[in-house]
Amino acid sequence: MTYKILVVEDDQAILDLMDLLIRKLGYEPVLIGNGIDALKSIQADPPALILLDIMMMPLNGWEFLEKLRTECRMKDLPVIIFSASPAVDEHIAKIRDPHLGVLHKPVSLAELRDTLKTYLP
Amino acid sequence: MPMDRYIGIAGKKLSHTDIVRVCVILSLTMCCILLTSVSLSLRVETIYSQLFYFPILYAAYFFPRRGLYLAGFCAIVYEILAYVYLFPNTSALLLTTGQAILFICIAGVVSYFIEKINSSEARYRSIFDTSLLGIVLFDQNSFAIRMANSYFLQILGYSQEELHAMTFPQLLSSKDEQRRFFEFLGSSEDVINFETMLLTNRQETLWVNLSWSRINGNLVSCSVINIDERKRAEQDARENYQQYQQVTESAPTSIVILKNNVIVYVNPSFLAFSGYELGELIGKDLYMFIHADDRDEFPVFSETADSRIPLPGMTEIRLLAKNGESRLAAFFFTWIIQKGSPAVLINLMDITERERLKQTIAKDNERRRGIISTVAHELRTPLQPIMGYLNLLTEDPQTYGVTDETRAILNRCAKSVDRERQIINQMLELSVLDSGKIPLKYSKFSVYSMLKTILDAGGYITKADITLDVPQDLTIEADENKVSIVIESMLSNAINYSKPPRKVRIMYSTSPADPMHRLSIQDNGIGITNSQLDEIFEPFQLPDSGNMSRKYDRIGLSLSIAKKYVQMHGGFISVDSIVNLGSTFTIHLPKQRPEEEISHDV
Repeated sequence: MTYKILVVEDDQAILDLMDLLIRKLGYEPVLIGNGIDALKSIQADPPALILLDIMMMPLNGWEFLEKLRTECRMKDLPVIIFSASPAVDEHIAKIRDPHLGVLHKPVSLAELRDTLKTYLP
Repeated sequence: MPMDRYIGIAGKKLSHTDIVRVCVILSLTMCCILLTSVSLSLRVETIYSQLFYFPILYAAYFFPRRGLYLAGFCAIVYEILAYVYLFPNTSALLLTTGQAILFICIAGVVSYFIEKINSSEARYRSIFDTSLLGIVLFDQNSFAIRMANSYFLQILGYSQEELHAMTFPQLLSSKDEQRRFFEFLGSSEDVINFETMLLTNRQETLWVNLSWSRINGNLVSCSVINIDERKRAEQDARENYQQYQQVTESAPTSIVILKNNVIVYVNPSFLAFSGYELGELIGKDLYMFIHADDRDEFPVFSETADSRIPLPGMTEIRLLAKNGESRLAAFFFTWIIQKGSPAVLINLMDITERERLKQTIAKDNERRRGIISTVAHELRTPLQPIMGYLNLLTEDPQTYGVTDETRAILNRCAKSVDRERQIINQMLELSVLDSGKIPLKYSKFSVYSMLKTILDAGGYITKADITLDVPQDLTIEADENKVSIVIESMLSNAINYSKPPRKVRIMYSTSPADPMHRLSIQDNGIGITNSQLDEIFEPFQLPDSGNMSRKYDRIGLSLSIAKKYVQMHGGFISVDSIVNLGSTFTIHLPKQRPEEEISHDV
């Protein structure tokens, strides 16, 4: 089976790219432009991993993560913060989530491949 | 009085007048003996025994005891002469014997009384002379000085003769003092404790206390107490006090003196600082003027103030000004003696402005970091599609119809994007390092294997001839990730600023006594001029920014980051360089990790 990877990202240019990259790496991309729709989709059909942008409206990445862990009870679902903001490292260190990773935009195809491999063997 | 000059005669000291007197006595005695022997030899009935009374009484008056001896001598001579000439006339001999005895008796009585008078006078004179009170006698009409004792002469430095030629008012230091003296002299008979200044022979002023009274005749006896030292000490104390007052009154820092916790003194700076009037502060407890939140920090001084109690060091406390504003001040406490008992002197420095500035700077820094963070986000986001699509095109050339030639070009684009990303990341790293928030993750690791990893991963072996001169069993304790970034930036620096054939040597050196690990990276590159040495570690500096920047198009942020990382470890980087021969960068890392880093460890 192919792993489903959910990309939560409000930048259409990035979504278009991720669609191609994830397919290229042999996974199945699910692309959603905002956090609220994404939460609904997860409840209906949980993915194997989430690539999560932080700076989004109306629900930002951290609020999304909080709802995912508490309301959706997806405590073990791997989430990779996928952001260009340098402030994310500090926040990640603070919340101490064992199933949380980080990729700083821009990432190369090779880096994306390596990171996904560690979460999805 | 030491007025006459003395000449030693037969061990006795005699003055000129005494010598004259002795001569007179001796010649009178000779005359008497001569006349008596002549009159006796001529059998003159009237014997001039009375003649002997002249030398005897004269001698007894001036030299009482010796006068008695002279009387004895005269009696014996007179008796001998009488025996020679009058023997065997018994009645005449008896008469002369009686006369001789009378010599001695009269001389005895006279010298007894004279001696008595002399000794009492000597007593008074010795008191007069040895007194530590100056005594001077002067005429009450002409004010001519008649007599002064040795102490008076000594304190003024005059001789008796010099004084005898002066009048008493001449000794006073000024016309004003003379006028005051005459007023006092006229006001009453006797005056005690008249303080004035006299002029010494050396024209120096001398503070004295005068008391005088009229004695017999026209004489005024004046006693003089030397109060110069006391007066000068008083004057010094007054000057000291004035100086101290000037210093505290004009001090730019605030000064408060507390006694038993109560304010006893504040200087004008404190009034300006607090906005209160003097009357609103003196006698009040300083505690009442301290911000409620800071009162715990203010030391309480016990009622029985004791200067042995240690005072706190510099303390920052907020004071409430009259207008209700709270003002931050640095307090410095000192024990002082005020009016004989311990008090606390507080120096206050207004640091409200400093604190405000600190907060402004902190806020500015915070905002700057926010801006940098946003800018980085905006710069990095558009790089993602570029990088991603380039990766796709080069990895899957067939799918996208990419020829080998196009692929080579796309690879170069990807490299450029990668460098762009690296520069932005370095800028971010520097801005975080400036805020000083990053803790180090210490661990023990092998330097040799770390170097191997770096060389293999970076492909440096293919770019240069690299010699590793590092012991394989060497382990150090540091943040491995940061140290490896430092070494990597040194290595890429060495390779970027040299031309083939590149030679790089990595060396380790230390000694048991050396507190540092020293790791050097030596290259055969273009070198760095002395003027550039200070600048290369500053952000955005390149070796020779005029020419080389175009040739070797690299931004010099990695050295700045390396310098900061090493500094965080408590070490430093040094550079030895010869232009066109090469540079040696040495990383000095302490073997012992800094104390504060140990405490940070989780």
